[in-house]
Amino acid sequence: MSLREARPFVVYGFATTHAALAAESLLKDLGIAVVPVPAPKSIGSLCGIALRVEPEEAPRAEQLLSNAGMEPTARVEMDDL
Amino acid sequence: MTDAPRRTVYLDHGASSWPKPPGVVEAVASAIAEYGANPGRGAYAMGLAASRLIFEARRDAAMLLGVRDSADLAFLSGCTEGCNLMLKGVLRPGDRVVVSSVEHNAITRPLHVLEQRGVRVDVVEADERGVVDAGRMEEAVDAAPTRAVVCQHASNVTGAIQPVADLADIAHSAGALMLVDGAQAAGHLPVDLGSLGADAWSASGHKGLLGPQGVGLLYLRPGLDVEELSQGGTGGSNSEEPGQPTARPERYEAGTPNTPGIAGLGAAVRYVSSHADELRSEERRLARRLHEGLLAIDGVRVLGPEPGEPRVPIVSAVTLGVAPDRVAFELDRRYGVAVRAGLHCSPATHRTLGTLETGALRFGVGFGDTDADIDLVLGALAEILA
Repeated sequence: MSLREARPFVVYGFATTHAALAAESLLKDLGIAVVPVPAPKSIGSLCGIALRVEPEEAPRAEQLLSNAGMEPTARVEMDDL
Repeated sequence: MTDAPRRTVYLDHGASSWPKPPGVVEAVASAIAEYGANPGRGAYAMGLAASRLIFEARRDAAMLLGVRDSADLAFLSGCTEGCNLMLKGVLRPGDRVVVSSVEHNAITRPLHVLEQRGVRVDVVEADERGVVDAGRMEEAVDAAPTRAVVCQHASNVTGAIQPVADLADIAHSAGALMLVDGAQAAGHLPVDLGSLGADAWSASGHKGLLGPQGVGLLYLRPGLDVEELSQGGTGGSNSEEPGQPTARPERYEAGTPNTPGIAGLGAAVRYVSSHADELRSEERRLARRLHEGLLAIDGVRVLGPEPGEPRVPIVSAVTLGVAPDRVAFELDRRYGVAVRAGLHCSPATHRTLGTLETGALRFGVGFGDTDADIDLVLGALAEILA
């Protein structure tokens, strides 16, 4: 599959790797399909791990993270495989 | 000629636990053989596996210690680094600190450096058993503005358990912080950091928590701003910023962590969590058996609390007329018993107890010890001291 076949996703950045993995654990436990990805430059100066979710699951993911006090520090929509 | 291999009766758990419970050695080896990548950096599979290993170890340690948000636990090289961090990260020239007279060098030496930098250090004498008196501490705290009260959770010499929750109330009533050296409490005592009142609490991973050497934990209560000891790469955030990130736990974990050690500690705390009652009950029972047996030997004086009084499983004794180092050597050479003589890195405690000149013989009871081990030691001592 070529990167030229990419489709939209929502990617979230977090203040720490710990926070990203805590968010991943929460979202997985609650049935959200989440994939750790290298943090893209477009979400700021992060250089660690970001979380990618399907666009249609993003509103629920954001609500769940907010309810848990685990809000991401950055959000971007980007194309990926 | 070499000495024939023999079974070691290991009674130095106050320094390091040995052997390790099932799963610890395997976790360390697995982290090296299978997850050797840097955690917290790359998002490739092996890097993620290493990151998750640390995340899960932190989560499980937090659960064992009653820490609500595991980000408030930092993995450091050991309790000593944690003590340095909580003291040097908080105390500034002109501050006053009140500290007990029975602290380990992990506390007294950083405080010595801070004293040279203008921190006022006031020492409060513990009693003849090495127990800190809350009333005396309160008098000292109330005597002058105080930035922090510093005390061990339990003694590495006498095994005495200190009234840390009461001291925290005293400190907080005076607007001071409560900083605790938890090295000898972790694993051996039920610890609920969410309610204990400690603003900072440092622990080793390799003593009562039964993990490997080279890793420890520092708890900092939410919202407490403690300056980090080291700055450097953290992988996760704000790499372009010149300053250290302030988000926990990365603020306190600059550089590549000891992933194998943390993996081992994670396995260890899971074991301790699932066997806590039986581990603590057994080591307490064996320590009391040893204590009472020592009291029955002529020429032995046991330091610290009486049998039946609260203590962690450490029993130290003075052997009248025979230097403790000679006894320790004979126990090792003739009986295969590993115990530690000397000052136990706590001359302050021995000064308080009046044993600074002689030191003492310390028995640290722990995981893997048996009734037969205790009986062997008591029999050996009776022979050596006859």
